Amino acid sequence: MKARILSRADVLKVVDQLRGLGYEVVAPLAGRGRDSAFEIVTDANRDKVEVHVPNPYNPAKRYVFPQLERLLKIQKVDGDIHFEPTVEGPKRAIFGIRSCDLRGIYHLDRFFLGRDFTDCYVEKKRKNLFLVNVACTDATRDIGSQCFCMCTDSGPAARENFDLQIMDLGSEFMAVAGSPAGEALFSAPFYKKCSLGHVQKRAAVLEEARKQLKDATTWFSGAVRYVSSGRVAEKTWQDVGNRCVECGGCTFVCPACTCFTVTDREVAPGEIERMRVWDSCALSGFTRMAGGHNPRKAVHDRRNRRFFRKLHHYFVQRELSVACVGCGRCAEVCHGDVGMPSVVEMIRRAATESDKNESLTR
Amino acid sequence: MNPSPAENIYLPKVAVVEGLNDEIPDVKTVHWHLTNPEEQKAFLAAFKPGQFCLVSIPGNGEFTLSLPPSPTEGKTFFTLRRVGVCSRAFQEYKPGDKFALRGPFGNGFPMESFYGKNIVVVAGGIGLIPLRSTIVYVLANREKFKGVQIFYGAKTPKELMYAEDLKKWEKGGAEFYLTVDRADPGYTGNIGVVGTLFKRPGVKVNVENTVAFVCGPPIMFRFVIKDLLELGFKESAIVSTLERYMKCGVGKCGHCCVGVSYVCVDGPVFTYEQLKRLGESI
Repeated sequence: MKARILSRADVLKVVDQLRGLGYEVVAPLAGRGRDSAFEIVTDANRDKVEVHVPNPYNPAKRYVFPQLERLLKIQKVDGDIHFEPTVEGPKRAIFGIRSCDLRGIYHLDRFFLGRDFTDCYVEKKRKNLFLVNVACTDATRDIGSQCFCMCTDSGPAARENFDLQIMDLGSEFMAVAGSPAGEALFSAPFYKKCSLGHVQKRAAVLEEARKQLKDATTWFSGAVRYVSSGRVAEKTWQDVGNRCVECGGCTFVCPACTCFTVTDREVAPGEIERMRVWDSCALSGFTRMAGGHNPRKAVHDRRNRRFFRKLHHYFVQRELSVACVGCGRCAEVCHGDVGMPSVVEMIRRAATESDKNESLTR
Repeated sequence: MNPSPAENIYLPKVAVVEGLNDEIPDVKTVHWHLTNPEEQKAFLAAFKPGQFCLVSIPGNGEFTLSLPPSPTEGKTFFTLRRVGVCSRAFQEYKPGDKFALRGPFGNGFPMESFYGKNIVVVAGGIGLIPLRSTIVYVLANREKFKGVQIFYGAKTPKELMYAEDLKKWEKGGAEFYLTVDRADPGYTGNIGVVGTLFKRPGVKVNVENTVAFVCGPPIMFRFVIKDLLELGFKESAIVSTLERYMKCGVGKCGHCCVGVSYVCVDGPVFTYEQLKRLGESI
């Protein structure tokens, strides 16, 4: 991988450079307090773009898998039906995507494009997407209280899946190219040569960033082992279920959740749009069939579902990717404190408890 | 530029209704064919017993229907009960009306691997719909299988499905046993749940070198499995097909996931041994 150095004054020229190349650039813009959101960069808001911004609650997932997306236009004319696919994928760049969200995009690649059936809607958006990753090095702005990317091996600095990675070395920035398209940017004059000293500095900064991560969870792999071998007691899932208020928030902010439903809406007589909308396994109607039979009725069955899907090694092998990226969003939005870190902790406690009792009764 | 239809997994093929006929109260069979003759030919050559389709009723949405015809028959139809928005709308269709579908999807029954074995089919109520395909397939390839026994139960004599087929099956090549939970005046056959047929005098269920197909409502399923295990069936010799809410049919939407399996791509056909190991109760 090739690396270059950017001065502090030049780093945001990357945004201008991408816009000049015809990309629609989106970047997380800071709002009030901790709030931030991905927005399209325009001439008007260009100066609001920053490198260090708290990660938006709404992940960058929607740029490959939108919350609401039209799949088909359907026309009924004189008893005939016509279907017109509406596959869209503008040339777009995300500036400032965090390493966790990058892993999320990679997971969507694996899930939507990597198996027997390829989803051409995701594929087209993904192919036209340029990703500028910013490594999380700022302890107050970048690294949140619930971040646990160390446990999922996705951060604080991604090792792959980006086109360009930017890391703050203090006095200047290092840019690393992760693809030929990323490397092509280095032809602009503001990218300066990188020395061995810079590379050593990068390693030191990264090591310091790792120390800044709070202990949101430290037992992720243990939880994977317990879930995969069916050793999580029903009681633990019931405890998780009892705390779930069934809002679906965790799934809607998750960069790696993929479930959707499809619905038709009539926009004019004989003109129908087939829409795809995010769905959530937390909601009671998720598995309900016509006629009312619902195989997953109890709330704890549905909570079990979410963590089973994310933690069972079968799915990790199936997609060669973990459906949890360690961003901590579920923990931040959950009203009942049953985000991933808490659930991992509940599994750990129950496991410790049962191991203790087992040794006493032996 | 949009990709060609073959590349878009959500783009359905247009079909036309040939005719409808009543089966039992609330249940109708819809005969159809794809409007493009090439596609119809390809469809007939492709589908297997136990597979299903995602059917588009434009304006109402898409819903899942299993394929009751056997590939040996050369015709295409669905049988459906009116329960939801789509099935209600579909049952109101008239000959010549157009709808659309995607499929066939799912693994289907691995019929070739059952050659040389005894076949036992146990169906309850409209659970006969997905198993009809198997029965017709087995009877059409009768020489490839050993003994064939069919057990079918419905709530009342009025709710016995596929009347024409039942007459044929009673005569042709299989031991055929029928029962109802409650008799009507004039009904002279067996009374009792389908599992009671196994213990009728004169009935000897094949167990050795046998594969049992089971499909029906959840409660019937549970009891029949218990009966079959008591008779000595191995868990791996019992196959069934699962029904789940689905939105895509291609392993993406997430609704049909049971434990470690997506019913639409890994199923809907599972052995009872597999069902027990999915990691979630069914």
